[in-house]
Amino acid sequence: MRHRVTTIFLLVAIAFTGSLLLVRAKGTHLPGNHQGYEPVQPIAYSHRLHAGELQIQCLYCHSNADKSRHAGVPAAATCMNCHRFITAPLGAVRAEEELAKAEGRPVRPVVSPELRKLYDALGLDASLQRDPARTPRAIAWTRVHSLPDFVYFDHRAHVGGGVTCQTCHGPVETMERVRQVSDLSMGWCVNCHRAGGANVAAPTRPLAPSSDCSTCHY
Amino acid sequence: MSRVYWLSLEQRDLAGSSGGAQPEFLEAAAGDPSRRDFLKLVGFSVAGAAAASCSPAPVRQEIPYVAQPEGIVPGDAVSYATTCGGCTAGCGLLVKTRDGRPIKVEGCPDHPISAGGVCSVGQAALLGLYDNLRFRSPSLGGAQTSWPEIDTALMARFDAIRQAGGAVRVLTPTVHSPTLRRGIAAFLASFGDGEHVEYDALSASAVLDAHEATHGVRAFPRYFFDRAEVVVSFDADFLGTWVSPAEYTRGYALRRRPEGGSARGWHAQIESRVSLAGGKADRRIALPPDEIAALAFDVAAIVEQGSGGSGLASELAQRLMAAPGRSIVLSGLQDLPAQVACNRINAALGNYGRTLDIAQPSNQRRGSDRAVARLLDDAAAGRIAALLVWHTNPVFDLPGGSAVSKVPLLVSLAERPDETSAAAHAVCPDHHAFESWADAEPVAGSYGLTQPLVRPLGDTRAFLETLAAWSGAPRPALDQVRETWRDTVCPVDHRGSDFEQFWAESVQTGYAAGDALAPAEVRARSAAELDAALMARPAVSADAIRLTLYHKPAILGGEHAYNPMLQELPDPISKVVWDNYACLGPTLAARLQLATGGVARIGTAAASLELPVLVQPGQDEQTVAIALGYGGQITERFQGFGHHWFRSRPTVGPNGRVGLNAAPLIVPDRGLLRRHAADVQIAAAGRTQPLACTQEHHTLSVPANLSFGPPAPRPIVQEISTAALAAAAPEADGGEAGAHAGGDLWAAHPMPGHRWGMAVDVDACTGCGACVVGCQVENNIPVVGKDEVGRNREMHWLRIDRYYMEDESGLHVANQPMFCQHCEHAPCETVCPVLATVHSSEGLNQQIYNRCVGTRYCANNCPYKVRRFNWFAYDHGEGTEQLASNPDVTIRSRGVMEKCTMCVQRIQEGKIAAKRRGEPLRDGEIQTACQQSCPAHAIVFGDLNDPSSEVSRLSGGRRAYKVLEELQVKPAVSYLKIVRDARPAATATEIAHHG
Repeated sequence: MRHRVTTIFLLVAIAFTGSLLLVRAKGTHLPGNHQGYEPVQPIAYSHRLHAGELQIQCLYCHSNADKSRHAGVPAAATCMNCHRFITAPLGAVRAEEELAKAEGRPVRPVVSPELRKLYDALGLDASLQRDPARTPRAIAWTRVHSLPDFVYFDHRAHVGGGVTCQTCHGPVETMERVRQVSDLSMGWCVNCHRAGGANVAAPTRPLAPSSDCSTCHY
Repeated sequence: MSRVYWLSLEQRDLAGSSGGAQPEFLEAAAGDPSRRDFLKLVGFSVAGAAAASCSPAPVRQEIPYVAQPEGIVPGDAVSYATTCGGCTAGCGLLVKTRDGRPIKVEGCPDHPISAGGVCSVGQAALLGLYDNLRFRSPSLGGAQTSWPEIDTALMARFDAIRQAGGAVRVLTPTVHSPTLRRGIAAFLASFGDGEHVEYDALSASAVLDAHEATHGVRAFPRYFFDRAEVVVSFDADFLGTWVSPAEYTRGYALRRRPEGGSARGWHAQIESRVSLAGGKADRRIALPPDEIAALAFDVAAIVEQGSGGSGLASELAQRLMAAPGRSIVLSGLQDLPAQVACNRINAALGNYGRTLDIAQPSNQRRGSDRAVARLLDDAAAGRIAALLVWHTNPVFDLPGGSAVSKVPLLVSLAERPDETSAAAHAVCPDHHAFESWADAEPVAGSYGLTQPLVRPLGDTRAFLETLAAWSGAPRPALDQVRETWRDTVCPVDHRGSDFEQFWAESVQTGYAAGDALAPAEVRARSAAELDAALMARPAVSADAIRLTLYHKPAILGGEHAYNPMLQELPDPISKVVWDNYACLGPTLAARLQLATGGVARIGTAAASLELPVLVQPGQDEQTVAIALGYGGQITERFQGFGHHWFRSRPTVGPNGRVGLNAAPLIVPDRGLLRRHAADVQIAAAGRTQPLACTQEHHTLSVPANLSFGPPAPRPIVQEISTAALAAAAPEADGGEAGAHAGGDLWAAHPMPGHRWGMAVDVDACTGCGACVVGCQVENNIPVVGKDEVGRNREMHWLRIDRYYMEDESGLHVANQPMFCQHCEHAPCETVCPVLATVHSSEGLNQQIYNRCVGTRYCANNCPYKVRRFNWFAYDHGEGTEQLASNPDVTIRSRGVMEKCTMCVQRIQEGKIAAKRRGEPLRDGEIQTACQQSCPAHAIVFGDLNDPSSEVSRLSGGRRAYKVLEELQVKPAVSYLKIVRDARPAATATEIAHHG
């Protein structure tokens, strides 16, 4: 009798553990696969706003993607091409204007807290002038897409061939915060290479992607 | 005549068997684990793997520029032209920098001196830049200080010396930088008694002194080996270490290239030991140093008379007299009568102005042994008030050099701690050559520019700026260099007079070739005008054992002995790493009952040393040869070097350093530092000290246990006579060598696009090792230490197999660069259980590190023995040293096999660049690291599917063959046969009579 109770108890325990593991397994990846990784960035930069709503080209900021192996993150100075003039969301600026009108005082400059971080990094003061007392400090973004060791990926070869950024990076223009959409596994790469460029919508040259190991591994 | 090439004396004497050759994996090295050890290891591995897999992926950061500088694309490499600071040869470099840090040194192909060649020292200079143990700040009396403080302190001392009228000396090696010469002169001008003393650790003072005697100018001639049909070298290793090896190798290889069209040069080398140049010689004669000097004198007498003489001297003279104005006679002996004899021969043959130039001389050697001897005397006598020492280490490399520590104010401007900086009162560290502006004038009228490639890594200061500060007029080095170039270089350059444009072009190319200089009138004095002492036949001390001190191509005078890559580069002849030793001929060694590894006590009147012995075939049987440049304080850093495990032996010797310093054996003799001596006492010390020698690792001979009966020697090195070469159909059918008529056992690999291949000219290769170090830097190949090398575990992807061959014209050395042959039917591929090594569609044998599980079956099955296994996670440096790694190549971890990839990262880069341009790849656009730096242009890489490529042309040429062709593995690498001159040579008896 006691043995039977123990057996039943053990079976229930195994079933419970098993179901728990199954549930967990859905969100679990193999080691090295960071699909779905969506880290918090030092500045809450919105790709949805810039690339989606404002339709800024990817290559405007990631200007090395067709020149170098790395697409790169834009230098802080690149942001200033626009943010020298745009210091806060339109709504906040309008609200300040109306408030100033109502209070009968001159409009104060409005700086959004996120952009303040950019200006701090560049060592700018309240009026966006270079403050000699501060040293410019680069912004340390958190890298979202990382390839494993032993593998090399070259943006030039892909961007130059007509592969769109979304093919690998997913609909970034809809993301508030960038998330890794593809699993960046070797199978995922090779599937595309084996298709011989058939899945590139608008190739800029005849494509003949190689499936040799040494294309990426060296 | 049967030509048998052999690797070692053991192999030769066992008549073709693999005797002496070691199996690739030493059984003893693997240890002898018990069951208990095995279980421990299994348990540890499982626990380790479990622990490792639990760690979360690290959060990586991406840090962009604040403002991206124009012209810089992160991840894209930019090459800057500069001048090498490794020695005084002044070769032109293109340094590849990526993201603000230099990652690879390459040769500048258009440079007027080096024409694309870089030696091993230049290649390894990158490690010098990133060296963690460089001085990071100035120090005064041993305490760290700042530049303003040290300037104040030293300038006060200088003021006191000025008022007291004390003597100030600046001691440097050869300085041919016009700006630095001005800087030193300006500094010394403020003192009543100031003098700039130059001396070279690899002194050629005798050449300069001899020209002073014979031509009235103290100058070093510029040699044009590409114009010389006959070269007779009396103990000058001009292909290895003598003055400007990269430049000379290029000219020499150009002249001897059978496809070159001009008459193939003939080269005789008379030497006491086996040097690089001797190995290449058509005629090599081993003689003791004093007899070489006497022979030079005899040849001079015959050439001047136009006839007469007998024996060897007559043979050499006949050869020379058949090529008047088209020959070079040179000597590396630090012996005035011998050098005067060479000058007399060159003058009598009318070579001056044709094959060597004294009117527009070389500045690569200016040092004076006489001046430095006087300096040491003055220092010992207390007649010098202050001494500045830059880039030299007199305490280490001069006999009696410690006299400099008696100077009341000794200032060292060294880059890293050495014997002299340890004795100095103040250390004012100089920048590395890659951190500062400077210039060079290696040959009169030919200028080089050095530009900074990286922001200085420490609080160092350029010597130019230090001198300017102490002269009371601080100025940036750039301003000083620009001023010199505006005043002196721009006016003689033919590119026009607009300085800013000239400067921009010069910075871009790295050099300015001013050929507008009017050559000075220099006349050779007749024999009657010469001092009678110089015209006396040098005395020969018969039957005594002589000593000759030499330099190794990678270590030179010891300035670069801190560099692990150079320490682990096998000596081109002996293939020993991490040591110096006493080379003895086989007969002498047998007479003294010494074998390789046995320690001998070698003594002269001045000093004695206990060094391990190396039995060296081809060496003169009355001479002991010892390398200089070893045993320096800067090698103490290697005390903990190498992988530490339970049976490891240290990389350093019993003295805590690498090798022993042989400088005390240098003989100061009538104003020259003589590197040879007579009357040497030598005796066995009764102990042994093993040498780590790669000579018999990874041999291609058949292992004894695999051969049926005594195996025949394999035709690994092949040769062709000049007559046979001329008779062969020119560029037969363009078909690739080794294409067997019979069918293949295996199905062919389709290679529709490119088919990468290489051609290696064994005839041109001198064995200098530049390619080995170039490959090592490019491909992040670790340095493993003496203990690991002793276990056959050196990691070089590219090795140079050295074979000896003896015939009636002496010992010959064949150098065969050996690396992965990228066989079409690769034996390694069929045995890999995990498909970690497979063939690519472009003919590359690929090695996939992340698939490799380390069975080592592939290495076992490789007939060329080119695969290397990571027995440990080898050291890739710490701190700034890690910056020297190439970011385009993976750093392999423990348990992974690796081998030559034909620089696949460069292939990918070249292909992508061509795609972006929208053009097909050009032949020669992709160069492998070994090819790029080869001074002899012995390595060619390219596309074998392109019939017009150079590699196709060479692979289908008359000289092409494949190594171990009979295996039918179809290597992608062709070798070009050695060409042997079929012209008659003197008989062996004649040589014996002369000696």
